[in-house]
Formats: sequence, C-alpha cells, structure tokens
Amino acid sequence: MTAKIRTDRDLEVYANGHAPRHLVTLSPPHLVTLSLLIMFGIAQANAAEATDGERLFTLRVLPLLKTKCFGCHGDDPADIRGDYNLLTREGMLKGGESGEPSVVPGKPEESPLYQAVLWEGYEMPPKENDRLTNAETEFIRKWIAAGSPWPDHAVQLQIKRQQWSVRENEDGVIVDTSGGLADEWTYRRYRPADLWAFRPVQPLDVGSRKVANQHSLDYFIRRKLSEATFEPAPQADPRTLIRRATFDLIGLPPVPQEVDAFLAAWKQNPRQAWNDLIDRLLESPHYGERWAQHWLDVARYADTGGYSNDYERSNMWRYRDYVIRAFNQDKPYDQFIIEQLAGDEIVKRQKEEGGISEFPPSTFNLPSSELLIATGFLRLGPWDPAMVKNPEARQIYIDDVVNSVGQTFLSTTMRCFKCHDHKFDPLPTRDYYRMYAAFAGTQLAERPAPFLPVENREGFEEGRSHVERLLEFAKAEKQKLLNKQEAAARQWYREHDLSYVPPEERKDVPDEMKPPRHVGLNHIEQGQLKVREQDEWIWTRRLERYEPMVQSVYNGPDPKWLNARKLRMPKKVDQNVELVSYILTGGSLEAPGEEVRPGVLSALGLPVNSGADDPYVIGGELNGRRLALAQWIADPENPLTTRSIVNRIWQYHFGKPIAGNPNNFGVKGARPTHPELLDWLAADFVFHGWKIKRLHKLIMTSDTYMQASAHPDLESLRTSDPNNDLLAYFPTRRLTAEELRDAMLRVTGELNPTVGGLPIMPEINMEVALQPRMIQFSLAPAYQPSRTPEQRNRRSIYAYRVRGQANPFMEVFNQPNPNESCEMRDDASVSPQAFTLMNSELMNDRAIAFAVRLQKEEGGRRKAESERVGVLVRRAFELAFQREPSQAEQQRLTDYVQRMQQYHHSMEPQPETYPTRITRSLVEEFSGKPFKYEEILPVFENYIRDKKASDVDAQTRALADLCLMLFNTNEFMYVY
Amino acid sequence: MNYSRREFLYGLGSSLGSVALSSLLQADEVPPSSFRLPPSPLAPKRPMHTPRAKNVIMLFMEGGPGHMDTFDPKPELARLHKTESKRTRGLETGFKFFVGSPFKFRKVGETGIEMCDQWKYLADPEVANQLCNFRGCTAESLNHPEALFHMNTGSRLGGDPAVGSWVNYGLGTENQNLPGYVVMTELALPQGGSTNWSNGFLPAHYQGTRLRPVGSPILDLAPPAHKSREHQRQFLDELAFLNEQHAAAHPEHRELAARMESYELAYRMQTEVPGVIDLDGETRQTHEMYGLDAPDTAAFGRQCLMARRLVEKGVRFVQIFSGGWDSHDYLERGHTSRIKSVDKPMAALIKDLKNRGMLDDTLVIWTGEFGRTPDNNKRGGVYSLGRGHNADAMTMLLAGGGVKPGVVGATDEIGAEAVECVHPIRDLHVTLLHLLGLNDNKLTYFHAGRFKQLSQFGGELIPDLIA
Repeated sequence: MTAKIRTDRDLEVYANGHAPRHLVTLSPPHLVTLSLLIMFGIAQANAAEATDGERLFTLRVLPLLKTKCFGCHGDDPADIRGDYNLLTREGMLKGGESGEPSVVPGKPEESPLYQAVLWEGYEMPPKENDRLTNAETEFIRKWIAAGSPWPDHAVQLQIKRQQWSVRENEDGVIVDTSGGLADEWTYRRYRPADLWAFRPVQPLDVGSRKVANQHSLDYFIRRKLSEATFEPAPQADPRTLIRRATFDLIGLPPVPQEVDAFLAAWKQNPRQAWNDLIDRLLESPHYGERWAQHWLDVARYADTGGYSNDYERSNMWRYRDYVIRAFNQDKPYDQFIIEQLAGDEIVKRQKEEGGISEFPPSTFNLPSSELLIATGFLRLGPWDPAMVKNPEARQIYIDDVVNSVGQTFLSTTMRCFKCHDHKFDPLPTRDYYRMYAAFAGTQLAERPAPFLPVENREGFEEGRSHVERLLEFAKAEKQKLLNKQEAAARQWYREHDLSYVPPEERKDVPDEMKPPRHVGLNHIEQGQLKVREQDEWIWTRRLERYEPMVQSVYNGPDPKWLNARKLRMPKKVDQNVELVSYILTGGSLEAPGEEVRPGVLSALGLPVNSGADDPYVIGGELNGRRLALAQWIADPENPLTTRSIVNRIWQYHFGKPIAGNPNNFGVKGARPTHPELLDWLAADFVFHGWKIKRLHKLIMTSDTYMQASAHPDLESLRTSDPNNDLLAYFPTRRLTAEELRDAMLRVTGELNPTVGGLPIMPEINMEVALQPRMIQFSLAPAYQPSRTPEQRNRRSIYAYRVRGQANPFMEVFNQPNPNESCEMRDDASVSPQAFTLMNSELMNDRAIAFAVRLQKEEGGRRKAESERVGVLVRRAFELAFQREPSQAEQQRLTDYVQRMQQYHHSMEPQPETYPTRITRSLVEEFSGKPFKYEEILPVFENYIRDKKASDVDAQTRALADLCLMLFNTNEFMYVY
Repeated sequence: MNYSRREFLYGLGSSLGSVALSSLLQADEVPPSSFRLPPSPLAPKRPMHTPRAKNVIMLFMEGGPGHMDTFDPKPELARLHKTESKRTRGLETGFKFFVGSPFKFRKVGETGIEMCDQWKYLADPEVANQLCNFRGCTAESLNHPEALFHMNTGSRLGGDPAVGSWVNYGLGTENQNLPGYVVMTELALPQGGSTNWSNGFLPAHYQGTRLRPVGSPILDLAPPAHKSREHQRQFLDELAFLNEQHAAAHPEHRELAARMESYELAYRMQTEVPGVIDLDGETRQTHEMYGLDAPDTAAFGRQCLMARRLVEKGVRFVQIFSGGWDSHDYLERGHTSRIKSVDKPMAALIKDLKNRGMLDDTLVIWTGEFGRTPDNNKRGGVYSLGRGHNADAMTMLLAGGGVKPGVVGATDEIGAEAVECVHPIRDLHVTLLHLLGLNDNKLTYFHAGRFKQLSQFGGELIPDLIA
C-alpha cells in the first residue's frame, strides 16, 4: 500500500514538470553534459507544450518498452514474437496474433498489455530478472489511462532534454562519465545510495564523537548495535582468543606452550598480552603464507595454464613467493599494486632512464627480477590459444586480464560492460575498452630474471635430475618407435622399387610415391608414439622450472604465432607499433565501433591525466599505459581501490566483509553494512601509508574482534539480525582446506616450516595420482608425490596447483577453482568431506603420526596401561584443542582407546606398496581402440613413505583412532 | 550439560523445529544419532510447472561424433570425396579436401530416422521409434574443453554450474542416501576434468559425484581394510559424543548440526552406493542385453546399466562420458569401433527403461560437444580421411521424457552448417529444463551481483523437440 502511494506521488512530480531540486552544476568543463546544456536552452522553451501523458510516455513508458519488450517484440523485424510489434502505437493498438488490441486507450483494466506486465494471465516480460516493479506497472497504467499518447521524436527529444538539464531530481542523479553509446544511458539517473562505491571516501571525525578510550572501530559497530538496542557480546576468553588470532594471522593453531605463556601474560595484563601476541604473529614468516593465500584466491593462482593442454607455467611459483614476501615485508599496498601491473614497465625505465622521480626509491630500486616476478599477476588467468584464431586468443587474454584487474583491485566486475554500457552502474562500455586499450600492447612471455638471494632454491638438483630421468625415458621410447617406423619405410621403398627418401623430405611427394603415414606401426604403437612425443615436451618444459626465468609480460606488437607451450620475448621488439583500439560492439571482434584511447573509469571523477583534454585518457605510447593505469588505481583518492582492500582485510578477519561482494561494489553487489566504517578504514589506511600489518592490528585490538562467538540475547538476534550483520558476536568459521591440512601437520609435529621455493607435491589419493587425465593429444603423466616426508609436509600454499587436476582433499574442502576469482570461500558441509576425514589415507597417516608423536613424548614411562592411555588422551586434547579434556571426555575416551586396543589386536593391516612403473590404457584417436603403454614413476624407487597402519602396533593404531576422531570433531574444524 | 540427542534435535528454536521434524519423518531410515536440521538442500522440491521428465541420463560422446557419419547422411559429400574444399570456416588451413562418409545409411523405424549401417541395435524399431534426432544445434567453440564446458555448464569459460547441478538445485533429488547428480567417466577424465560437473557458484551440495569405473566408486568411500563397519559405528558414536558436548557449549552455531548429520549420511551412503553399483542382482539376460559379456561393450554397458539403476533409486541426473570420437584421421576405424562400443548398451538402456515404464519420466540425451567438418586437411602430406571440429553443425539423439520422436532440424547438403531449426546450445538447455518442469528464466541464483541462469542471458524453447 505504502509503495503505491509513493508511486503516485512520483508520478505527479513527474507529470507536472516538477521543480528541479538542483540544476546542473558543471564542475570539470570536459564533461559531456556541457555541450548539451547549450541545447537545453532551446529545448526548454518548447517543452512546455508537451502534455503530462506525453512526458510520462517519453520518460517512463518508452524506456521501459525499450529495455523490457522490444527485444522480442520489435527490434528484429524478421522475428517478432507472437506477431506482436510494440515499436509503434499502431502496432500496440493492433495487438498480436490473437487479433485483440493490446491497449485500449483510457482503459488500462481492459488492456491486455497492462494485465501481462502484472503477470496476470500472460506473464511478460517472461524472465523473473526482467519483471516490472510495482512502480513500473503503474507507469503503464497511468499512461494508458491518459489515453496512451505517443509523441513524435521531436517532442520526445524536447521532453528528454529538459529532463537531462536537471542534475538531480526525485529519480536520482546523473553521473558524469565518458558517455554511453546512447544519450539515454549517458543521462540516466542513479539513486545516490547506489553510488556509494564511486563517491569519494568521506571519513567521519571519530575522535570528536566516540567516548573516551573507545576504539575507533567499536564506535561504528556499537552505534549500530545500540540503534538496534542490542548489547555487544562479552569478551571471549583468552584461550579462544589466542586460537582465533593464531589461525587468523598465520593459519595454524597455537602450540600448548604458546597458549600457556599467553594465559600467564593475560593474567598480568590482558591488553599488553594481546598486543604482544598480535605483534609476535605479525612477525612470523607464516603470516605471509596465510595472507598470501587470500590474495592468490582472488588473483587465481595456479601452476598451469588450463584448458586442453594445461601447459605448466614453470616459474609461476616465483610469483607466489613474491606475494608471500610482500605480506611479510608489509609492502605498502599502493606499491604492491604498481609492481604487479607494471613491474616490467618500471624495469624498462630503470634501464633507459636510470630513475623515475615520481616513485619512492623502494619501488624503483627493486631488483629487476622482483619487478618482473610481480607481473606474474598478469599471467594468472587460464589461457591457451590452441585451436583459436590469433585475434580471438588475444581478445580472450585481454578480456580476462581487464576483468581480473577490475575485480581484484577495484572490486568492479568488468565483464558486465564489455558488450554494452553497464546495465546498473555508471560504467560505459567506452571505459571498458579504454581499460582494454591499456593492455592492447601487453604480450605474454617467459622472460629471463636471475634468482634473488631471498628466493628459496632448495631441491633444484634433485628435482632436475628427476625430470631429466623422465625426459630421457620419453626420448628413448620415442626413438625406438621411430626406428621401427623408418625400418618399415625403407622396406616399403624396397618393395616398391623406389629409392629411399628421408622423412623430412617426403612432405610434398604424392601419396602413392611414399609409404603411408605411420608405416610399420600398429594402432598401439601409433598411440604410444603420440604419448612419447608429448611427454618429451612436457618434461623439456618442466626443466624450465629450474631456470632463471619468470612468467611475465612485455609491450610490443601481437606475435604472428601464439603457442602457450613456449612464449618468449623477441630479441628485438618493434617499439614503433601503433596500437589502435575500438569499442567492440557487443563484445565482438567483427564489429569494431568507435576508436578509443587507453584510459580509466570516468565515473569516479578521478583524473588519470589532469592536464589532458580528456583527463581520463592515458597517452597513446606503447609503453607506460599500464603504469599510468596502475598509478591511477593506486591513487590515494581512488575510492574503489582503498575501499576494496580494507573491505577484503576486514572480511578475512571476521569471515564476512563490510560490503557484501568484495569483487563487486556496483549497484548489484550487497551494500556495506557499515558504510561509514568502511570509509573511515579506507582513509585511515591511506593516511598511515597503505600498511596492511597496521590495519590488522587496528582491527584485532578492537572490542568487536575480541568478542565471544556466543551472545546472551541470541534468540532475538536470530530474528532481527539473522546474518549477524550487526556483529553483535564474533562469527564462527570453518577452517579452510589449507588450514585444515596445515593444522594437522602442526599438531602431529610433521610440519616442515621452510618458506618458499619450488612447488611441492603432497600425497594425494593414489588412484587419483595414477588416474589417466586427458590433455590435448594424449594423457598427462602421472602425479608423483615428493619423495620424502620433509618435502611433502610443507604448508599447503606450496602445493602444486594444476588447473586440470584438483587435489581431491583440497577440492572437497572447497579450495576454489582457480579459473574464477574467489572473493569468499564456500564452506558447505557435504558428505564427501566425511568420507575424506574418516577414511582417506592422508587422514589416517596423520592420525598415526599424531599417535606416534604422543607415544614418543610420553616415552613409555608409565607402567599401568590405563594410566598411560589417560595421559595420552590428555595430551592429545592439549595439542589438538589447546585445552584439557573434561572428566567425562577423559573417562570415555580412555575407555574407547582401550577397547580399540582389543579390536586392533585381532587385525593385521596389509602393508602398502608403491609402483615404480604403471601400465596405462587409452582409446587411440585414429582407431578408436584401446592401447597400453608403460610409464615410469622414478620417485617411488627411493620413496620414504609416511608411517602406515601396518608399520605400527595395535596400541598405536588404537591411539590413532582417537587422534583421527579429534581431527574429525567440530571443535577442531571451526574457529570461534 | 549432557544433552541427549533428542533434546538437541528439538532444542533448536521454534523456527527450525517443525522443519526438522517434517524432514525427519520423511527420511527412509532414521539412525539413532541422526541430527536433522533445516531441510537438506537436496530435499525434493516441487517443479515450477507440470514436468514431462523427472530424471535425465546424458550420454556424452567426448571428442565430437561426425554427424554425417552417424545420423545425418550427406550423399553430396560422397560425390565430392577427395576433391578440393575452399571452405574457410574452421581452423584447418592450407589445402583441404572433402571427405565422404565411409558408411552406408538407411531409414529405420516408423519415423524413418536415418542411421549409418554401423548402428545395429539402435536400428531395432522398438528402440528407433523412441528416438528424436536433432540436427539444428550449434556450438560456439572449436576446442574440446571449451566446447565441453559449454555443453555441460552453459558457458565455455568453465567454472559455472553444470546442467546436472542446476537441475538438482531446482528439483532436489529423491534419494537422500545417494548423490543427486552422478557422473561416470572412463578411466581417463574428459578434457577439462571435473569442471564439467562442477557446482560452480551454486552451493557444494549440487556438485556432480563421480562414480569411478575401477576401485572405490567414490574416493575414500570405504574405511581402510582393517577397520570394520562395527569399528566405524563405534568411532561415529564417540565422535557424536564429542560433537554433542561441543554443540551444547555453542548453541549459537547452527552449522555444527549439519556437519554432524553429514557423517550419518556418509555412513548410510557407504552401504547404499556399493549396493547400487553391484550388478550381480541383475539377470543374466540383462547382462547380455547391455553387452556386459563382450569386451567391446562391457565398459559402457556397465555404466548404462548403472545409470538405469541409479535413476530407479531416485538419482536425478546421471551423466556418462565416453571418449574417442575425435576422428581427425582414420575416421572409419575410429567411428566403427566407437559406435560398436555404445550401440548395444544404448539400445538396451532405452528398451529397458521402456519395459520398466521409466522412459516416460526419463530424458535420455546422446550428444557430443560439437559436430565435424565435411572436409579435412592433409597430415604428414597424406590425404588423411578424418574430419576437423565443427561448431556450426552437430547431431544428437533424445529419447523419452516428453520428447517427440523423429528428425528435427537439418544441416546443409554437405553438413557444414545447421540450416533448419537452428538453435544454440542455450536453447537446448532451456528446453531440457522445461521438460523437467523448470523455467530457465526463473531458475536463478544470485551471484556476483546478478541473477545467474543456466542459459547465461536467457534462451528459447525448442518446441519442435517436444511431444
């Protein structure tokens, strides 16, 4: 009811030519509105002639028809659905195939069009997404009631121009941009509240508002809480707090000594203890490992390129370590942005100019390797030009990188305005192609970059000789087949009385003058040959891991030939290339529209080049486009960038962001729950030098962060704030896949804390490791885990990420698919997780390792069995949960372990074996028949396996049952 | 603080209690330590309109079968055989020549659907009368994984939810002790791997579960050999004890109960899954009918029979991948052997579904990711008798589930392009959802600022396919 009243008032305001609230005030003179204002003078004089109904039609009804109806009922004359053409008043009066008029002027209730948009009888438009709002159906009703007038174009234009001259009215505000493809878009209106992300950051002066000694963040949270008449939850107990903080900052559980020390310090001085704890964790090298993972989720890290070939990006690990270093060094975020987007351009300038004044020396003086490694960001998307024509392959790359840059740094989903002006946000497609043009000369290449002293090069030799072994095997097997083929070829020549022609010279010889393809090889051998040829280049490429190379980019013309197997920078890059970019209409290469220059998002009103005629355009030179874009993104005044990063940091601390869609701040993203807090954080972050560690500490020292996860008034909170948007209590979260594995390794004492280096290969289910996996022409080689437990038991961030082969453990615990930027992890509980946690080898191995650790530490000192088991149970609880068991737990589980000892005495687990060769089977493409071949698995020749059930006695197995159970509990799985 | 399970169950607050109770009463088997919570995301849901089909079995021929070598004869190509082709579509460059099909064709059944002579069992009128051959579908991508992603997820980029995920999201599934979306592959995964059955941005409950062809059907389904079921029951009881203690201390945390329930479901699935894949209970005659007794047909036959059993048990969407159709060369050998391996099992599946009265409710789809070109280029300087990838024309079979038997659509006289009843893949998806009682425009999920749908931006129904 209320909605309707408001609608009516809207209509009146509209129809009566309303008094404008604000007239256009043109600030920067370049804006598109300027030229039109001059015309408005003329337009306004005549507009008075238009009737209310005509105005309603022009400003309300026609735009609705255009966006919601014409697509099926008019735009394509060859395909008019239901023979119902809405392009003209005549068509509308005539109606569709039913023959009944769709509009009866003056009588909305008798007009089928009106009934259809109400979804009564007909349901039009048919998509839920497009369905008209109440206000919109009211426009239709009123317009029909007014006699459904349909003014001609001249009158329409007058009416529109008059309306465009008003910057802000009841309908919203016009946003100045570089301009849409049509005036309707350029002058459309936005509700001011929807523009929050594009507006400058406006921090409140908290100091003058908050109560004395109140933490600034708590001011914002408390204010909303008290408006909703809720109290915040009490402070969490210190044991919960140290677990929360430790997982949060380093992704690992605290060890019992750390807990004891913290509890003791807390007793003395809680505030001091808490501050010291945060400082200690921020100084840990594991901090970077934990927070780099968040970044890699958004940036889509993987060690391979995806799609059919899934080529390895052999040096990608250097970028992963760069991100870890950046977090550990607390690299200012603005610098982090610039290095990743334009590190190569800085290197080029270093070489050519020896200095760039506008950069802090910390960036400019970085070794060129570090800067090139940073540009690995631009190489993270899945991409493979195989079977794609060159221009399209380039387009796929640039579209991907533009979208990634938008989502990652600007929280803007760029894809939404690639084919047309943005449907909801003030983002014209012109701006999409301006940003696209900033990458028009960006070419992909593996570039030389000497290793830095800080990079971990452990395991290079062992790795290289392992790969060489596999390469030699592939080469030798291939040669055997080629020898056989050539012997048959010689035989064929002899039999046909022709003189022998070597294979490389046979290409242009007619079919009947040369032996058939694959002569002498049956379908099995043909298939084998293909496998060996493929393996040869896979292993050749893998050897590049150990070379001082990096996945990077350079600026230049498009290469004539693209193959993701090998992308190298030419010795001489043509620097005189002229790059011309266009708006690609509908996103199609075949439909280039207006030419565009490289540039940035104009809606922010933040110039990239304030001196230029168009301040949102970057110079047209080949080099420096990305640097200019990066500097614009990293501009302290860029509200998207600064809000984006503080929103993400907040999200990872609380498990929920302030603005609900960290990759999309547009109208369709969730609005911030605490917009003023977001702005205050963004301003504070920039003011203090873009330092992320400082931001962590700021957040973590608030009362809001230190709250308990339970709340005394839970029942009413659940009703009034089901999503805990008020943060009345601390949100609980499940461990991520990586945390889960890493936490277990720490509890069992197996974790190797080495930082950085080559990708490691954890054990995965053997059936998956050996399972055949199709790539372009054949099967990918088997997955071979790292040889020793020390090599395997590194943190999960170092695990090799193959786009075409997910690690089953990680996947089941919602490690995101690296093809899409992940703004937030899913943590649904599904049954396959239970299978993995109870039954998998990985879990059972951890349980045995845990049991062995417990027994070793106990040292067999206690004689009485029940006493010893009791001690072990207690210690297991301390290590896994950082607490002692309750009496009930102690009793029950001691009893359980003893029962299990009985059980295991009667069992004899079989030892595992590891194959050093496997036979593979595959359907051969040419014959459609299966064939087999052998593959070697050299890693298992000298393999040091984890302790298995068959390696330990019944006592240990029984204790391992308990250990496995603790890893399966909710207490272990969740952080409070 | 020792909460009993019952107290725990009913102590969840009034808003949840009634839902929990109703789903509790629905469950087939309620083990003692079951914690039912808000209805499972996979609980059966009412369709949006009267459905024609309840379940789907999708037979995916990876690599792209040649339409002109299976169901869409092109006599003109035989005439042009080995003559130069000047066509410029497609990726092959250099000298190209036309390739006639190595197979003869004939019309079969009441609808006169055309098949090459390699289809022996499918040509049985009892089967052929059920089949609809759709020739109007067009793909977009010329490379396998992108085209596979497109057919399976509606987007060629990979990463969006699979069709089976959308269907489970829309309808739930009948049997809560089995996954709602089951995928069977050969030993080798198809290109693009599990992205083809990923839940994408839908919750993880909707992802396809792969039944592995050898070894454990689901990874880690069974405990290690030295742990008995009784051992596991004790383990779960002690685990429930610890979890209950913990839940009592954390009443604010609802996810705990869902996670506890997932263990009980896992425990039930451990018996249910091996039961459904154990084919020993099927008659000798059934084994023979599906070709389980012959090496060429055994693998696919086994999967087809399993598909029928899964659907019978209430699994909503079953997908089988069968590779080897990518015949760039030696087309005759390749397609002969591929057809042989699927012909008998497919025919058996359709007959079997029909005889059991299940075909009316079950939509069977046979398709690849694209079709093939009428021409080819030389390989190693030799006229290689095969075909390239073709996104402009392809062929597929549909049966049951409200589909109208007969031929729908047409390709041009050399099979280069679809020319009649031409529809992009999204329209096929819209139609498939429609048959299941779902409206693509309404089956949406809010993600990244937009209501996403299987067809991406909407599509059209293909009325010609519907009976």
